[in-house]
Amino acid sequence: MSLIGPLLLATFLFCVGIYGIIARRNAVLVLMSVELMLNAVNINLVAFQNVLFPGEEAVSGLMFALFIIGVAAAEVGVGLAIVFNMFRNRATVNVDDVDLMRW
Amino acid sequence: MEALLEYAYVVVLLPLISAAAIAAFGKQLPWKGAELGIAALGIGWLMSVGIAWQTFMNSPMEPVEEFFRWSPLGGGFVFELGMLVDGLTAMMLLLVTTVSLMVHIYSREYMKGEVRFTYFYAMLSLFTFSMLVLVIANNLLQAVIGWELVGLCSFLLIGFYWEEKSNQDAANKAFLTTKFGDVGLIVGVIVLSAGMFGLTDTPFNIIEINQAATDGLLSTSTIVLGMLLIFLGCISKSGQMPLHVWLPDAMAGPTPVSALIHAATMVTAGVFLLARLFPVLAQSALVMGVIAIVGVITLFFGGLLALVQDDLKKILAYSTISQLGYMVAAIGVGGYTASIFHLFTHGFFKALLFLGAGSLIHAVHSNNISDMGGMRKAMPHTFWTFIIGSLALAGFPLTAGFFSKDEILIAGEIWAGGGFLTGNLVYWIGLAAAGVTTFYMARACFLVFAGENRSHHPPHESGKQMVGPLMLLAVLSVASGYLLSPFSPDQPNFETWTQTPILDGDAVYPFTVDETVAFGVQGDGVIASSGSVLAAEAGDGPVSVLHGVPSWHPDLLAIVLVIFSLAVFLAWRFYGKGLPEKDPMLQMGPVTRALVAKYGFDDFGYRYIVVPVRDVLSRWATTSSNTYIDGAVAGVGKATKSAAMATYRTIDQKVIDGAVNGSALSAAWWSDRLKRIQSGDVQRYAGAIVAGVIVLVLAFAAAR
Repeated sequence: MSLIGPLLLATFLFCVGIYGIIARRNAVLVLMSVELMLNAVNINLVAFQNVLFPGEEAVSGLMFALFIIGVAAAEVGVGLAIVFNMFRNRATVNVDDVDLMRW
Repeated sequence: MEALLEYAYVVVLLPLISAAAIAAFGKQLPWKGAELGIAALGIGWLMSVGIAWQTFMNSPMEPVEEFFRWSPLGGGFVFELGMLVDGLTAMMLLLVTTVSLMVHIYSREYMKGEVRFTYFYAMLSLFTFSMLVLVIANNLLQAVIGWELVGLCSFLLIGFYWEEKSNQDAANKAFLTTKFGDVGLIVGVIVLSAGMFGLTDTPFNIIEINQAATDGLLSTSTIVLGMLLIFLGCISKSGQMPLHVWLPDAMAGPTPVSALIHAATMVTAGVFLLARLFPVLAQSALVMGVIAIVGVITLFFGGLLALVQDDLKKILAYSTISQLGYMVAAIGVGGYTASIFHLFTHGFFKALLFLGAGSLIHAVHSNNISDMGGMRKAMPHTFWTFIIGSLALAGFPLTAGFFSKDEILIAGEIWAGGGFLTGNLVYWIGLAAAGVTTFYMARACFLVFAGENRSHHPPHESGKQMVGPLMLLAVLSVASGYLLSPFSPDQPNFETWTQTPILDGDAVYPFTVDETVAFGVQGDGVIASSGSVLAAEAGDGPVSVLHGVPSWHPDLLAIVLVIFSLAVFLAWRFYGKGLPEKDPMLQMGPVTRALVAKYGFDDFGYRYIVVPVRDVLSRWATTSSNTYIDGAVAGVGKATKSAAMATYRTIDQKVIDGAVNGSALSAAWWSDRLKRIQSGDVQRYAGAIVAGVIVLVLAFAAAR
């Protein structure tokens, strides 16, 4: 199996994610972009597992992918909670308006 | 019991602890602090009895020495703080703690209701501590410390009733007079230690000084100069003429203080120190001659002064001077044992007499014997104990004073037998002064106890706390004499108890052995001429230091009894029927005038020392101090101030403040710029991270 396809896909997804984080102003969309980046990494892990250790007992790459999915779920939970609170207090989800941690 | 000697310092520390405790919270206690002093002294007394017993039964014994050492200059010069326990120390510990305990108990009743009762007890305990520091010292510096401390306590207690100007003056007089001698003492100590320097690491150590002097390692000039200067300290502290003037005035203090300090213990410090350094002074005929002559003058002329006194305490004060003269004279004629034996017994009977006098004064509210009279019926206990004390003081046979004073006379006889004129002086003048002593004590006793009551108060016997100590001291005034008497020929006795290894039975005076050693430095005019005066018949053979247990001297006993009877008879003729209209003691023309004027010592001292110092020297010193020293100080102050102002204006204000302000300002400026990085914009941070990652990736790629 060739690695080029999955790696190109992962690179594309990662770049989209970075762009989304930097360019988007909606906090929910920023969170979604983070998910895109995490999934790009997952694709990498799965692809390399299949190429390097096809059909073997060692499944550490897959296990990492599962961990990342779990952590991403938790992260989204916390992130959405923060966004909800932000909306409640300020009636906006625009990250530019949220600069409380400024000097 | 052996271990007790190692813990002798506890006896010293107990009164210090009690003094501090009394000062700290004595006033809150039910007995106002008295119980602390009595308890500490009681324990100390028990320990002292144990130590005395231990040293006495094992005598002669090696001294026990314990010390801390401190060498601030590295090796070669070491200061010590320590204790030296031998028979002499044990004897002094016993004497001091016994008298002090008695005075502590006695004072509770005597001082009842006085102002500063608690202060009084704190001072008594502090004094006891000071005296014990001196007694137990293993080196001369520590002895000087104790010596000065007792001087301080004496000053504080003489001026106890400081509301009266005369008492302040008495305290000042005592302090300054003794201080004059103290200067001599400390210079003498320095001279001796300078002689010891190089011979040992511990130049102040008493045992080593004694040993070095005995071994002939100290030069004659060191010994003569050092011991004469130390003797100057003894002259002032032990009330020898002509520096005795403070002692009668010291009677301004409360009577128990007079008993403890100015009769039984402190004033014996000088004699004690001479005894401690006896092996040193025994090296020089000149030093011993000077000591003997000062002692003889004091014992006779001091005693005469008591004849014309009306104040009972002053009679006792002059008799103390006279008895101290006996002790000093005994040292000067080689009566080492005799001197400290007299010190020991005198401590008991003089404390007894003073406490008895206190009891009388307490009853009639007057110090004067012309205000007393007929006290025998009213105060039987005081009467009997006072009579016993008087008999002991007069040297009546079979009392303690008899044995100790006869020891001194016999020492004089032995010394005269060795060919020294001072021995004859001590023997004959000592006998005459014994008659004087008997007469003035008989005069006092007749005037106080016989005849009609002349006081304005109905006299009453004192309470148990005052009579109890009197009784115990009365017993000791008789019993202590039997430590060294023809009745106790067996060892141990007082002599074996207080001898030191250096002064063992074979020790002799070096200058009696060989004339070249005695007047050693050929061509030294002073030494040689004094030798020819003092040792007119020198060369009769060596004189041993220890005289052994005395045998009976029927001739001396007879003379003493005749003198005693004669003196008592005369006193009875004059005073047996109460106070005569004209006191014959005051009708003796020029003699009376001389005695009443105290030979003019006080007048002379006032006119030629106090007045010049006060009116000329101190005024000159004040002026020069105000103009020159104060001027210099003020000039230095002004210069310093202007220099400080200049420094303030330039260095502080400009350089230092500028640096501080500049750094603060630059920090503010930079932070104002740099804070803008912290924008709070999450996406800008994310962008920065991405940019950083790209830079790192490029950098690593280029590095490959």
